Amino acid sequence: MAGSTTEGSAPPTAAPRSALAQRLLDIEPSGRSSWLDPAACQAVIARGLPDTRGEPWKYTNVNRWYDVAFTRQEPAALDIDAPDDILVVDFDDPRTRPLAAAHGGKAFDLAKQPLAAVNGLLLGGGVAIVVPGDWRGEAPIRIADGGPSYQHILLIVESGASITLIEEASGFTHRIVETVVETGGRLRHLRRQRPAPTRECSLVAVHLDQDARYELAQSCRGAELRRNDVVVTLAGTGARVTVNGAWRLVGREHLDNQVAINHVAPQGFSRQTFRGVVADRARAVLNGRIHIAAGAKATDAALNTKNLLATDNAEVYAKPELEIFESDVQCSHGATVGTLDEEAVFFLRTRGLSDEAARALLVRGFLREAVADDEGAARLELVA
Amino acid sequence: MSLLEVRDLRVNVDDKPILKGLDLTVEAGEVHAVMGPNGSGKSTLANVLAGRPGYDIDAGSITLDDEDLTAATPDERAHRGLFLAFQYPIEIPGVSNMEFLKAAVDAHAAHTGASEPSAVDFIKRARAAAEQLHLSADFLKRGVNEGFSGGEKKRNEILQMLLLEPRLAVLDETDSGLDIDALQVVAEGINAFRAEDNAIVLVTHYQRLLNYVVPDHVHVLIDGRIARSGDHTLAHTLEDEGYGWLDD
Ligand SMILES: Nc1ncnc2c1ncn2[C@@H]1O[C@H](COP(=O)(O)OP(=O)(O)OP(=O)(O)O)[C@@H](O)[C@H]1O
Ligand SMILES: [Mg+2]
Repeated sequence: MAGSTTEGSAPPTAAPRSALAQRLLDIEPSGRSSWLDPAACQAVIARGLPDTRGEPWKYTNVNRWYDVAFTRQEPAALDIDAPDDILVVDFDDPRTRPLAAAHGGKAFDLAKQPLAAVNGLLLGGGVAIVVPGDWRGEAPIRIADGGPSYQHILLIVESGASITLIEEASGFTHRIVETVVETGGRLRHLRRQRPAPTRECSLVAVHLDQDARYELAQSCRGAELRRNDVVVTLAGTGARVTVNGAWRLVGREHLDNQVAINHVAPQGFSRQTFRGVVADRARAVLNGRIHIAAGAKATDAALNTKNLLATDNAEVYAKPELEIFESDVQCSHGATVGTLDEEAVFFLRTRGLSDEAARALLVRGFLREAVADDEGAARLELVA
Repeated sequence: MSLLEVRDLRVNVDDKPILKGLDLTVEAGEVHAVMGPNGSGKSTLANVLAGRPGYDIDAGSITLDDEDLTAATPDERAHRGLFLAFQYPIEIPGVSNMEFLKAAVDAHAAHTGASEPSAVDFIKRARAAAEQLHLSADFLKRGVNEGFSGGEKKRNEILQMLLLEPRLAVLDETDSGLDIDALQVVAEGINAFRAEDNAIVLVTHYQRLLNYVVPDHVHVLIDGRIARSGDHTLAHTLEDEGYGWLDD
């Protein structure tokens, strides 16, 4: 059971090709080529797309995404800005082929990511990026909001290179950010999601080689439907990952973060910290999975998630999920859902702050515990 | 006109009467000490003055500078010059002491229509006040009271008082849990604040603070009422005799 779901999406159900799958397979492709093999994508889809019955989509009605997802896609360019010396090539460029052959598919298992298979068939824009070995510039790679409905970025951080990726992650139907960080490489990934009246899903999949480091700082406002799947595999000895997520939802916004950390190699280190504030009738979902495979000795993993409910009608479904098949590990987790400390509100009011200002200050302080991207969090008005 | 007038104050907490007709008059320039056994209602009085939710005023009135505060919110009271130093100071993770202090000072400035102090001026003032209380500048960067020792938290309350310059400071057991040196530092802070145009109500269990901050009046609160008032010598008597003799 545990072994079959290590990547945070629905195990495909063995149903005959559904009407849904057929509808999708009937759509004329955009003409853009994904490095994902169309036949493989079709096979995944034919085996069944997720529905609301499975655990991974329990709190997010995937049908509402299908309603916007199955339309013919027009190709369009991705808006990516990278320092000179960093190779940025379109998937249509023949130089992508050897890159995809060498690295594609390391970071996620297509069979477990049916939405990625949809992306593979309907791709509107795909780009491969290579940060050359030992690259140490200050300048970041930037990926903008918007662009084609279906997007796929394949990022390779070569051995010893260190770089920051600033990703504005709104305004698409589905985006894949597939990353391989080679031995001793380091990627800082600042991911920012604006409030939007859209239904968006994304997959961030990361493969870490020996001593590679990945730091994800995700700052999220809500959307009509926003689902982020994050899958990080610590495949090399001594790999390290930190995932920070902060969100603030209002109105009827919906945010679903599914994070899976797969410790496969020994001496891995992972830290996950999430803080969310959910108001009005909004809904936040956080599933944080730590999978420690047999043989991943001396793993040190921790997850901590706290949510604040600002109103009675807000909803939070937050749960850590541990799958541990190795005994030589340290693993801790904690999840709380609470309300603002009224004692602290009173304290601040005795210092002259209005009720509203007191609550806003407490919310900012609370979220800051998970913010690792001050600029992004400030711009999204998570913390000011 | 008195600075503070509390008249026949009756307060229930969870339907239980705690203050049962309390009178207290404080003039500008005065320091009043309020003493009394555990559970007699001292913190309740302090909290009711500050407007804590959940404390129902059944009868009586509180006026500050002739303005009725009974129905005012905690922030309105703060703007009118009331300050409460908490018996158990609150921790606010993620909000630096400096950010909090600036927010508080700015909120007061906004109320009076004064311009907010510039960030540079404010940092200078805050540093000077911290130094006065023997708190290193480091404390201004840390989360509000986060990981502070008991004594550091109490000094931090006095720091807030010095920066906010209230008209009436109510200090609820600010001396409890302080070592001798910290007690002196806190006492010096209180004495530096003490002036002709403000007043202080000190809730305390111990004579030792009153050796440094000599009160003009001492009151003994027993079972929700002021059972006895006197000058500073009353505190000595209580130290020697306890509260038992007042029952008679
Ligand atoms: N929120 C509350 N709910 C129920 N009872 C309360 C509440 N707050 C105070 N009380 C009760 O009111 C009485 C007075 O409490 P208060 O804290 O004012 O005493 P105090 O004089 O400050 O005591 P101490 O010297 O121990 O600080 C006590 O019996 C206490 O249990
Ligand atoms: Mg008390």
